[in-house]
Amino acid sequence: MSDHDHSHKPAPMVDEVSDFEILEMAVRELAIDKGLFSQEDHRVWTEYVHTLGPVPAARLVAKAWLDPEYKKLAAADGVEASKAVGVDWVTSPPTQFGTPSDYCNLRVLEDTPKLKHVVVCSLCSCYPRPILGQSPEWYRTPNYRRRLVRWPRQVLSEFGLQLPPEVEVRVADSNQKTRYIVMPVRPEGTEGWTEDQLTEIVTRDCLIGVAVPKPGITSNAKRPIRKAIHPVQHDHDH
Amino acid sequence: MSTSDSDVNSKGDYQAIDTTPISLLQTVLEHGRVWEDLAAQYGVTNPDPPWKITLEATCDLLAGDSCVKSYKEVVPGSCALPSLERRADEDDLADTIYEDVPFPERQLMALAHTMIKRGLIEEGELKCRMLQVEQRLNSG
Repeated sequence: MSDHDHSHKPAPMVDEVSDFEILEMAVRELAIDKGLFSQEDHRVWTEYVHTLGPVPAARLVAKAWLDPEYKKLAAADGVEASKAVGVDWVTSPPTQFGTPSDYCNLRVLEDTPKLKHVVVCSLCSCYPRPILGQSPEWYRTPNYRRRLVRWPRQVLSEFGLQLPPEVEVRVADSNQKTRYIVMPVRPEGTEGWTEDQLTEIVTRDCLIGVAVPKPGITSNAKRPIRKAIHPVQHDHDH
Repeated sequence: MSTSDSDVNSKGDYQAIDTTPISLLQTVLEHGRVWEDLAAQYGVTNPDPPWKITLEATCDLLAGDSCVKSYKEVVPGSCALPSLERRADEDDLADTIYEDVPFPERQLMALAHTMIKRGLIEEGELKCRMLQVEQRLNSG
């Protein structure tokens, strides 16, 4: 006998196998058969990736807004500050397959009323996954990567973020050694809020820098993916 | 704070990916149903297919520690597929033959294409394995 409640309606599921699902599994199994990695390593890494998301980074920002000493720590040593939100850049990722310590360099970029940071990886899609989860699709696109470093104000305006000319925009280009998150300015209307309340409005897009937190806004705006009209040639084609 | 866009090119032996279509993968494109269509049909709200996480893990494991090194520092043979090489290939393929494929199916197609063209797996053995997987998943 089961004491589970079967009266509720199950969540909808996709009830067919797609060729893409088959392809993903076949590629993975062949890679394992050929010894490119082990099944156990894959299982462990997949479980780890499942645990990742933007909440720890959002909480880091919320804590910093509430605690001036913690804010100083976050600005000076992002890796150390991450521990307070449950992320140890050294020990959290599985190390069986070599996540070396030089991965562990998080910088927290503090916005001011006159300075706005925004993060990109112009080369590929480096992203602070241990504290921010998987990158969104648009972050990976050449359109975002190449245009943001050239025309940051224009790209930010496409995200709905219109910045007055007196606000300086600083683009941080992630790389293999250093990852970034943005600490936006705490918005008006949040006086007296708890850490949990503040955490809710620090969305992933705020942490990348393409949005700013607003009371009542707790999710990322859906954004259509667009191709470059005049795509820039890859440098390795030259 | 900046990195050079030419990093992937600064190692002289990088060869741009061959973007000639692969028959097996073209068949997947013709017959495969993408997640956004399946999710809409079945009323599923998850924006990503369940296999996206395992695909990410496969990419990570093929890259070893190359995702935290400059391309110049990656020792040849130290990993199956350096992350920068895979991403450069994906950019090229997404600009050409997989231009109209949505994400993350595009990432999967690009990975399979790269692995075949760079000799990590063979098209024939992938076809055989796909048949086995299909039979397994559709059994019972």
